[in-house]
Amino acid sequence: MKRHTTTPLWFVVMYKELLEALREKRTLTMLLMLTLLYPALVGFFLHTTIERSTRTEKAGIELAVIGGAQAPNLLAHLREKSVKVSERAPMDDTAIKALLSEKKFVGVLRLEPEFSSYYAEVRPAPLALWFDSSADKDEQRRELEGILRDYANGIAGARLEAHGVSPAVLVPLRLERYDTSDGAGGAGKRIGLYLGMFFVPVFLFGLSMAIDTTAGERERRSLEVLMAQPMRARELVAGKWLAASALAAIGLGCELIVAHGVLSLLPLEEMGLSWRLGLPMLAVVIVAALPLCLFVGAVQVALAMNSKTFKEAQASAGILTTLPMLPLLIMPMLDLSTQTWMYAVPVLGNQTMFQAIAAGKAIGALPYLLTCVLPLLLAWAAVEFAARRMRSEQYVMGI
Amino acid sequence: MIEVTDIHKRFGAVHALAGVSFTAADGRATALLGPNGAGKTTLMRTLVGLLSRDRGTVGIDGIDPAADPLGARRNIGLLTDQFGLYERLSTREYLRYFGRINGMDKAAIARRIDEVTELLGLDDILDRSCRGFSQGQRIKVALARTLLHRPRNLLLDEPTRGLDVMSTRALRRALAAMRAEGCCIILATHVMQEVTQLCDDVIVIAKGQTVAQGSPQELCRQTGIASLEDAFVHLVGTEEGIAA
Repeated sequence: MKRHTTTPLWFVVMYKELLEALREKRTLTMLLMLTLLYPALVGFFLHTTIERSTRTEKAGIELAVIGGAQAPNLLAHLREKSVKVSERAPMDDTAIKALLSEKKFVGVLRLEPEFSSYYAEVRPAPLALWFDSSADKDEQRRELEGILRDYANGIAGARLEAHGVSPAVLVPLRLERYDTSDGAGGAGKRIGLYLGMFFVPVFLFGLSMAIDTTAGERERRSLEVLMAQPMRARELVAGKWLAASALAAIGLGCELIVAHGVLSLLPLEEMGLSWRLGLPMLAVVIVAALPLCLFVGAVQVALAMNSKTFKEAQASAGILTTLPMLPLLIMPMLDLSTQTWMYAVPVLGNQTMFQAIAAGKAIGALPYLLTCVLPLLLAWAAVEFAARRMRSEQYVMGI
Repeated sequence: MIEVTDIHKRFGAVHALAGVSFTAADGRATALLGPNGAGKTTLMRTLVGLLSRDRGTVGIDGIDPAADPLGARRNIGLLTDQFGLYERLSTREYLRYFGRINGMDKAAIARRIDEVTELLGLDDILDRSCRGFSQGQRIKVALARTLLHRPRNLLLDEPTRGLDVMSTRALRRALAAMRAEGCCIILATHVMQEVTQLCDDVIVIAKGQTVAQGSPQELCRQTGIASLEDAFVHLVGTEEGIAA
């Protein structure tokens, strides 16, 4: 029988696979969760990270003081050093713990009742600093202890001077500290790497479809019927590949649009980053991610077709989903600066591009080209492998 | 017309086909009889070009499926023991899908869907999702798919299993109509009644070899046994062939 229609067969297969997938509740729920909920969660994570990185600079030190009336000079010194002092009535250990559990105060400074008399008698005046080491305020606590130490040294110096001894004898060394960290810049770099998290779901959008249309169809034994039709193995594989990739592209496109909204709301400026992307540029970023979708779909289909059972396909394709996490884990460890080759590596390329855009860098055409070339070549190789696998007798005998 | 001459196929130490030869003519229904494991599935897969042969020749209306599998498949309607239905597609969508794969245009698909619906009595399930279909309904949909593109050659593996009496009769009518139109039908079956009622010729294969070919009457005459079932058992030399 002659063909009377010009519709390519890969399109016929792709259309049918998409139609079936979009009728499945599980696929739709997954799509919805990953496009809406996931970017919101990543946004929350990034927001928390930024908040934590900038909190020290913004917040200052809040200190509760018990028995502060005994040492007005000490309180004045603390206030002079920008410590927010909150005077409290005497309280027991339990009440102090309860107060610290609110995580508002860096610590509670309790001046013991005998503080003023010991101080007057030039004996070590007892005072206790209560703090909660789990409250993530270590840096502020150390700063506070430094202020108290400086105050004590000042008093000691004054007392020695009153006895005709130079306070300099107490200071045989004079240490000065210079911090070369650029503050928010370091955290900004880390946050830039975290932007790659927005690309993680690309491995999940089409996963179930890639497995179901290959290993699933093989296990349900409907593949033989399809393979006995007047259609090349490559057309059949291409239809399934493009369907899985289309789902990944639709999912990623929607997810990046939501991510764009999330990033616009984040205070990235505080990290030396910014997200002022126009819609045309956003479209370019999404289009540049399409080869990644094609690569992921192809590899998932090839892996699923290479598996003997549906479960094996789930396991092997599942391992693949951990791949996008690798740059997120490895790159901060290597502490590499952005290099051109990075754009050629799938996922890492997209992440690097996202990072460059957030840093407001103009990256030129080459990175875009590199981001497309290798994933497309790998996708082609994976589809060829899958088609060859489908033509093999071993595969036919297994259906 | 399907012509097979001395085909061999080996899987490692297993000689799945060890010299099968036969001719199935146009306008005739040919029964393919053989015990389980005789090589029927391997033979059908070889005829549609899914498996290559080690030796011998195959012609599907003169086309060698090894050289031009797509050309051969265009002229074949294959129904195996697996129906290949999709649970999230309706019967109509399923038929459209295979119609498009077979290169039919929209109008032709619509027309043929009407025809096979009437032929096989699919009205009540035409727009229903294939999920939850009974065995009989599933086989009818698969048959409709097999007949949809009007193949000149039909390869049917036990097409009546699971069908009720009415559906079986509808199928027989459909096959008779296809045969009258000049279609070449090969029917693998274990039901001797079906062979005597439907088939003009019988091919018996055992252990990968053709052991006899002829009309049911000729096979009975050849073996000197009046019953076709007994003649078949005598030809394959085992009781194993009687499965239905």
